[in-house]
Amino acid sequence: MAAVDVSALGEFEQVVLLSILRLGDEAYAVSIRDEIARCTGREVSRGSIYITLDRLETKGYLKSRLADPTPERGGRAKRYYGLRPRAVEALKDSRRALVALWRGLERVLGQA
Amino acid sequence: MTPGPPIVLRLFARFVPGDLREPITGDLTEEYLAMRDRRGPARATLWLWGQAARLAWTFRWERTAHGRPLPPIGDELRSMSYMWDALRQDLAFGVRMLRRQPGFTVVAVIALALGIGANTAIFSVVDAVLWRSLPYPGADEIVSIGEQRTREGRLSGPVSPADFFDWRREGRSFRAMAAYTETAVNLTGVGEPERLRGLSVSPGFLDVLGVHPAQGRDFRTEEETDGRDRVVLLTDAFWRRRFGADPAVVGRAVSFNGNPYEVIGILPAAFWWPTQPDMIVPLALDDHDRTLRAAHFLDVVARRRPEVPFSRAREEMAVIGARLSSAYPEENTGHGPNLRPLRQALVGDMRTALLVLLGAVGLVLLIACANVATLLLARATSRQKELAVRIAVGGARLRLVQQLLTESLVLALAGGCAGLLLAAWGMAALRHVLPAQFAALPGIDHLGVDARVLLSSLVLSLVTGVVFGVAPALIASDQRVGATLNEETRGGSGGARGRRMRSALVVAELALSLVLLVGAGLLMVSFRNLTEVSPGFRPQQLVTTRLTLPYSRYADRPRAVAFYNAVFDRLRAVPGVDRVAATSAPPFSGLGGRLNLEIEHRSVESPLPVRAHPRIVSPDYFATMGVPLVRGRVFTDRDNADAPDVVIINEAAARSFWPGDDPIGDRISLGDPVRWMEIVGIVGDIRHEGLDAEANPEAYMPFQQGFVAFGTGLVRGMSLVVRTSADASAMAPIIRTAVAGVDDQQPVGLIRPMDALIAQSVAPRRLNLLLLSAFAFVAVVLTASGLYGVMAYLVTQRTREIGVRMALGASRASVLALMLRQAGAMTLTGIGVGLVGAYVLARYLASLLFGVSASDPTVYLAVSALLAAVAFAAIVIPSSRATRVDPLSALR
Repeated sequence: MAAVDVSALGEFEQVVLLSILRLGDEAYAVSIRDEIARCTGREVSRGSIYITLDRLETKGYLKSRLADPTPERGGRAKRYYGLRPRAVEALKDSRRALVALWRGLERVLGQA
Repeated sequence: MTPGPPIVLRLFARFVPGDLREPITGDLTEEYLAMRDRRGPARATLWLWGQAARLAWTFRWERTAHGRPLPPIGDELRSMSYMWDALRQDLAFGVRMLRRQPGFTVVAVIALALGIGANTAIFSVVDAVLWRSLPYPGADEIVSIGEQRTREGRLSGPVSPADFFDWRREGRSFRAMAAYTETAVNLTGVGEPERLRGLSVSPGFLDVLGVHPAQGRDFRTEEETDGRDRVVLLTDAFWRRRFGADPAVVGRAVSFNGNPYEVIGILPAAFWWPTQPDMIVPLALDDHDRTLRAAHFLDVVARRRPEVPFSRAREEMAVIGARLSSAYPEENTGHGPNLRPLRQALVGDMRTALLVLLGAVGLVLLIACANVATLLLARATSRQKELAVRIAVGGARLRLVQQLLTESLVLALAGGCAGLLLAAWGMAALRHVLPAQFAALPGIDHLGVDARVLLSSLVLSLVTGVVFGVAPALIASDQRVGATLNEETRGGSGGARGRRMRSALVVAELALSLVLLVGAGLLMVSFRNLTEVSPGFRPQQLVTTRLTLPYSRYADRPRAVAFYNAVFDRLRAVPGVDRVAATSAPPFSGLGGRLNLEIEHRSVESPLPVRAHPRIVSPDYFATMGVPLVRGRVFTDRDNADAPDVVIINEAAARSFWPGDDPIGDRISLGDPVRWMEIVGIVGDIRHEGLDAEANPEAYMPFQQGFVAFGTGLVRGMSLVVRTSADASAMAPIIRTAVAGVDDQQPVGLIRPMDALIAQSVAPRRLNLLLLSAFAFVAVVLTASGLYGVMAYLVTQRTREIGVRMALGASRASVLALMLRQAGAMTLTGIGVGLVGAYVLARYLASLLFGVSASDPTVYLAVSALLAAVAFAAIVIPSSRATRVDPLSALR
């Protein structure tokens, strides 16, 4: 079994990446934050979303594109995010690692 | 229509890295516009500001943590932004440093909170009472005019009617001038009879104050004349309380003392007068009273013309006074008008007490500053390495000072916030313990934390921060790098300048504390002296209440006497009532005037006018009060209208007018017209006006006889005094029942135990003493903690030196002596400086002292010993730690 670096992605980074994945073409800061709230029940501060997105892009996990400006945004462009292959790999890795760690613990921790 | 997003976003954009700026502001705009549609622009704008601030903060932190470049900004903003950045960095750094040393921070904040809190509370009282303008338009123009009587040592006393009318006619400097006296009437005819407080004023009184009735009209000039004066203005509070704010009351008649008075108007709700009257009636003097020049019973206020300065008005009145003195030498020699601003007249002698307290809290704040400064110095020394490194790598000194000062300001503001809480709490507590005398002070009824108080404590905090921060910051930042590093390796005690500075601060704290202790000590001795003064009667188990019989039903003396005798009989029948009597003016009531006294077959040659206070009493008065009979006899029921007129004088009168002679058997007359009364007894003196006032000559007359000077007035207005063996507080219903049983139309005033009246008379002094003692206590605690801190610090810094000494054979005792010598020198210097300071400052206390001189050596010695003892305790604990230094570990 290949060595897996579980810590390559922080917990919140995983949450953000998974939300972007779920949103497909519609992933920008506001919708990402809403998606996280919907799925996890967590209200995340805007600042941490922006900073995490920025950090993930710097690390090469995310790509982004600016859409055309719209009037409901005061004529400002929207920045959409999408996952790079590295991010998909990293998510797979961490899932594998977690599943491996979970295996055999169902009885101890319950079915959830 | 899409109005652009608020300006905040453009401001906010400065804090966001360039490439993120557009999408983030776009996101915020989108959410803002959505929220504006849902919840309105106000909520949305508020939300946006909050979000922008939070995001800006996040990015600022992110930038420092991860080194993202600053967004490019316009040149015009660069320098301001740099300063702002530096300040923010200093603030954040300061807060971090303070949080890292919670012990230091807590001690410093407590010290500052005590200092700033006490100052804020006392400042707000002083501001309200002494500085804020009175609630009248153009209040500066209002003056009080009293009669100065130099022969009797009175600076400002009541005015005679004839003088007032001359002043009013001749004074050109005034737009209006009015006389007034306090009055009290019985309200009957509407529900329960009630005793009302009021003012009798000459027309023009409201003009002087600049007040107009809210409804109805002011008094007319002709209503000043006797017989046309049955009109009344009601205060708003009384009108609401008694008439349910019924506007139809205006024009109706109410019954005062059994006579109808027409209500001509209602005063505005904002009308304020210190005695809090229920109503105002015209002051109508009959033709005889208007010509009185020797009887002084009016107070006078006037509004000076705005173009006439105060000094000119005073000069004009002095000229008028001089003319009257030469025109009426018999009555007016040595008399003259004395002009004072109205506030000064109202506040009176409270002013000194308040300023003394303000000075005291100022000293407490200085001590707190010195205390925190020593702490800061000690801390700066322990941060020498950090500072030295910053200087070594090129940090500018100014920048270091700025940083250290910012820390001080953060500390001061934290102390200020805590102090404000203390002050708000203290003022709420103060309002409950304020003696009744304070209720009449201007501004006292809406005392509390308002914008002025907030602003003053903010300014105070900032100034405080600079005061205690600047010297330590300068000293700490003055680092010659090599020297500091050397000292650091030697483990020395932080530079000669720092050491001298710390000693000086501790000496200052000790000296200031001693000043406060001397003040508190002097007040304490005064208060003890005062409460040990015997009032001249036994106040325990004695209650008193005022009855005023209306003229309409008690016009003649026999009827009034019969009323009192019937009340006496009813009360005597109640178990627990030992004795009962009546007097025209009981002690500590503030009642009573003086009359000229003539002695038969003698013209008394005296520099002072011969005057005595007349008192009308029932026969049992002296026994009821517990006033001792010195010679002769007391009154009996046989001293009635058919018997020869008799009088009893007090010892003060005997001493003043019959020095070395026996007055018994002589005959005297009081006031006009002459009616001779034989002196049948001498009784002990009563301190009528207060424990701190010498007894005045008094003449007692039995209420059955025909003392005429005031007609029947003195008999109709009398106070009951009841001595009880039961609970004094249980007497109120008993007295009410007895009075109602005789005349159910007769209201009874407040029923009060006599010792409560005495306690109230000393209450301002008690409060003064309490506050000054509390401040002195805080000062001593702060000083002790400062001394302790400095000594503990010295011991730590000198551990190595002490270790060397002990290794070389020094005994523990000699090490202790070494530490004590140094601290002892500081303590003695502090006490010495403090004694000089106290001696200089104590004379401002002189008017608050009683039976003790401002330079009383016992007090100075006692408080010095006390402070020395506290200082010794604060020194000896850390010093004895020095003797337990282990030489080996100290040298290692």
